Order: sequence, then C-alpha cells, then structure tokens
Amino acid sequence: MLVIALCKGRFLEPSLAMLARADVRFPEDAASSRKLIFDSEDRRFRVVLVKPADVPTYVEYGAADAGIAGRDVIMESRADILQPLDLNFGHCKIAVAGKPGENPSLTSEFEFSELQENSNSLVRLGFSPRATVRVATKYPRITMDYYNARSIPVEIIPLSGSIELAPLIGLADRIVDVVETGQTLRENGLEVLEVIAESSARLLINRAGYQTKREDVRGLIQALEKVVRCESSI
Amino acid sequence: MKAYTQIPPGTQILIGRAARRRRGLERAISSVFEGWSYEEIIPPIFDYYDVFAKGMGAGPEEQIYRFIDREGNILALRPEFTSLVAKTVATRLASSPKPIRLFYSGEVLRFEKPKGGRQREFAQIGIEHYGGAGKTADVEILLIAVETFQRLGVQDFQINLGSVDFFGGIVDRIELPPEQVAELKDFLNVKDQSGLDSLLQKLPLADRRKKILRALPHLTGGKSVIQEARELVKNSRSVEALDHLEEIYSIFEHLNLERRLTIDLAEIRGFDYYTGILFRAYVRDLGFEVALGGRYDGLPATFGEDLPAVGFAFSLDRLEQIVTPTLDVSENGSTSVQVDKSFEKALELRRAGKAVKLCL
Repeated sequence: MLVIALCKGRFLEPSLAMLARADVRFPEDAASSRKLIFDSEDRRFRVVLVKPADVPTYVEYGAADAGIAGRDVIMESRADILQPLDLNFGHCKIAVAGKPGENPSLTSEFEFSELQENSNSLVRLGFSPRATVRVATKYPRITMDYYNARSIPVEIIPLSGSIELAPLIGLADRIVDVVETGQTLRENGLEVLEVIAESSARLLINRAGYQTKREDVRGLIQALEKVVRCESSI
Repeated sequence: MKAYTQIPPGTQILIGRAARRRRGLERAISSVFEGWSYEEIIPPIFDYYDVFAKGMGAGPEEQIYRFIDREGNILALRPEFTSLVAKTVATRLASSPKPIRLFYSGEVLRFEKPKGGRQREFAQIGIEHYGGAGKTADVEILLIAVETFQRLGVQDFQINLGSVDFFGGIVDRIELPPEQVAELKDFLNVKDQSGLDSLLQKLPLADRRKKILRALPHLTGGKSVIQEARELVKNSRSVEALDHLEEIYSIFEHLNLERRLTIDLAEIRGFDYYTGILFRAYVRDLGFEVALGGRYDGLPATFGEDLPAVGFAFSLDRLEQIVTPTLDVSENGSTSVQVDKSFEKALELRRAGKAVKLCL
C-alpha cells in the first residue's frame, strides 16, 4: 500500500480530484470529514492529511511514500525528495511585494532618499532608519537565497500569516509571499515588485521508496502524468 | 551551576539493551568483513581540516566541525572515515603489499540540521579496498555488502549500482555554461521530468543529447536498462561504463544474486567525488539508504600515492532501525548469579567463568 500525504486546505479537493481521475478513488466525504487517514476504495493507497508545510517532511522521512504540495513549500523545506511531476494546478508566484513603485531591493540611491522620506514616520513608530532591507515572510529560506544571490544584505522577519500587514505598520520594508491574482495585495495597497519563482502543485516521492517500491510508485507517476497531459491538451 | 538535562541536538545516548544491540550489530558486521580478510583500522577522531577538505563528499564544508588548536592549526572532527584511511594508506602503508583491505567502525560528526534520519553524530561501519583497479575489487565489495545484509537477516534489500562514467561521458559532450549544466543536474537529481523537458527545449543541444538526457531519470531497473542505454549513447566513456556494469551484473547472475542488484543510471549524486562504480543500498520500508559506496581512485593520490580505491560504508544507526531486535543480543544478567554472601563467593564464581550480580 502506498501512503500519500496531502495538504489540508485549498489543495485538498483538486488533489483528490486528480487522484480520482488517475483511478485512485477515496470516499466521497474525504475532503469534508475530520478524519486524517483514509484508504482508497481498492485499498492500494492510503491518504494522510497534513499541514502543507509538513508534506515534504513526511515524504522525506518515508512516513509517506508520496505527497502533493506546492513548489513554494517544497523549496522552503529543502527536503531531499524527488519531484517527478508538475501537476499543473495551484499556480501562483512567489514574489517580493511592497508599496507601489518601490524597488524590490535597496540600492544606494534608495537607501539615501527613501530612508530620509520614511525616517520621520518610522521614527514616530519607534523604528530607526535602516541600512539593511527588512523583509517579512513565511519563507525565510527562499527569501535568504534570493537576496544572497543578489548580494543584498537583508534582515528577515519570519511570520506565519497576514504577511501583508507587515509593511503597512512599519514592521518590514518588503514582504515575500505567494501571489495568485494579486487581489489581496492590492486591497492592502501593495503590489508585486519582483517575481522570485513560479509555483504549482507538485508530486513528491521518497527517494528510497522510488527504488524499493518502484513498480507501484512508477505506476502512480504514470497514471498522474496521463491525467496532467490530458488536461493540458483540453 | 545549572544542570543540563538536554543533550545537544543531533546526538544520542545508548544505554543497556540499545548499546548491546549496537555492539552486537558491530560485531556481526565486523566478522563478515574479517571473513573476507579485512583488517581493522582505528584512526583518530580528528585530523587536520585539510585532510577532509579534499573531500570525500562528506557534504558541504560548512558541515564539518572545525576547531583551532593551541598552535593555530585548523583541525576537524572526522565527518567520514575514508579520507583518514586513504591518507594512512598513502603514507604509512605506501610500501605494503597490495591490495590493502581495511575496515573501520565508529562515529563521524557532521553539523547537519538533525532531520531526515541524520543526526550530527552517527555511527558508520565500512570497508576500504586499495590497490585493485578492476571489476574484481568492485565485485568483491558488492558481495561483502550482500553478505552483510544476509548475515543480519535483512530480507528485502536492494543494491542500486551505477557508474559515474556513464553520466560523465554524457556531460563531457555537452558544451554548455556551468550554470546550465548545474540546472540540468538539479532537475535530474530530483527526477523533475517537466522541468527537465522545458529546460531542454531552450538549450542549444543536439537532438540525440536531448534524447538521452530526457531518458536518463528512468534508466533504473534490470539488465535491460543497460541495453536501453546502449541505444542512446555512443561516446566511449559511457559505453565503457555500460560494459563494466554489464560484466558485474553477469557475475552476479552467475552467482544467482542478480535479483539483489538494480542497475541505476539515473543516480547522479556523488558524481563529483566518485570515479567509477557508485552504489546505494536500500531496504524496503526504510525512507533512507543504509549504505553508500563506490570507487574513488583519485583520493589516495591527493595524499601522495596514486592507488585505485573502492569501498563502502553502512550506517549503523539506520541498520538499527530495521534489523530485528533479537539478533545476537543476549539478555544481560539473565544468566548471572546473585551473590548475597561474600566477596569470596563472588570471586570464586568469577574464576569459574560465571556472571555475577552483587547484592551484599
């Protein structure tokens, strides 16, 4: 029996739907019930429901043989797992966002003029003008890699939710977050300044399981591959 | 002074039964190695940092525990054994008759985030074979790995055998800037077929090269994989690698052990420090590999003596997770005699070879 870790939340229904189209069917109420483990109708697969950020961990340890999670979560976890398939749903961008028109990263000109502008309001809020850009994010590793690659020193403020709030009350200069339509950003007076990477739902496979359960794992990959191909040619 | 009940992350303490189990495993495996005429080497737990920086793929340098001695030399706690053994062989044993067969058992230290079954201190046991260049030495160490599993009663094990030269021959022929080669390797490494396909579409490579790269992630399986690969590559380095793998496979067939062997041409991790065959051993239901090995002919030369070298290391920590607890572990104290009389009685029993437990 192969164990598949799925995310609770907005990925759950599309994941189950895709698995169903690949002939891996779970009971109707899977998405709505409170159960965290359920078996497929033919008993060949088992699904466990975990938090999105934990899917790569379950798969890396082999507690789950496979998983479905967003590329954003996979990149952030740096889990040592295989990613054989882009499932082509849940598309979004991992991006740097901030107030409209701002530079995504501090340059020397920016450092001087914007700090001057902002310093009064910042000082009122109790913050002193900064030489290092401060970025609030749920993705500290992705953010650090992004700024390191550009040789820009950065101070990372790890947050777990409502990231858009940070620049609005002076906690940070920028945020790094996932963006779908951009609606949430706009409503909070922010906009995408630079796209770091594209993200979509991916299939994850445990490295050792790929070798020791090759037939079952490959069968799953091929079945899902077929579904993805069919859907993209519609 | 505050008493610390926590132990540093990434370390563990084995007491009683767990410790006996560890030693029992060690003894069983060592006796397999000794049965193939391997002698133990007990190297120091630290050496000059440079020794390890030459790299046996212990991982990124940041993971090596370094410290500075009183004279300002940079030392390091060993992140692996192979570099130490290779250095000893290249220096102290340079004039010894070849081949030289050595085994080791002990802890190695790496500053990794403790996750994925990896601690910061973990127990390795492995063998090194120096002075044998051909497939004979390769087959020897593979057979020893097989016997180790069999001795431990592990049923569902699998040895994935590949060759660095197969992928090496392909990469030699690719004329691309290093960042793009790195990108290719990243996709191949996680078997990201869609990422690989879209990258290949953008690269100025001949169709035939694109074909082999596209097929690479799937080239894992039985002997047929070698045939499949032969139809895709023509360069001599890759072809020779396939010949070599096929010879080893045939020997395994002859010995009725071929079902333990999986040809894995898709595995490209380790490409930077192994020089010939490369293998990983897996056990069903364990999420991580239990052994890693291969050929590293270039290593002794970096210590001054050009010698072929091949070997492997088992992870004792991971083996402990799968080997059944009853193996070779006797209940301590079950046969010991309780002595409540006197020290004389205790000594009398001890001289007679009995185990005693004092309750005076």
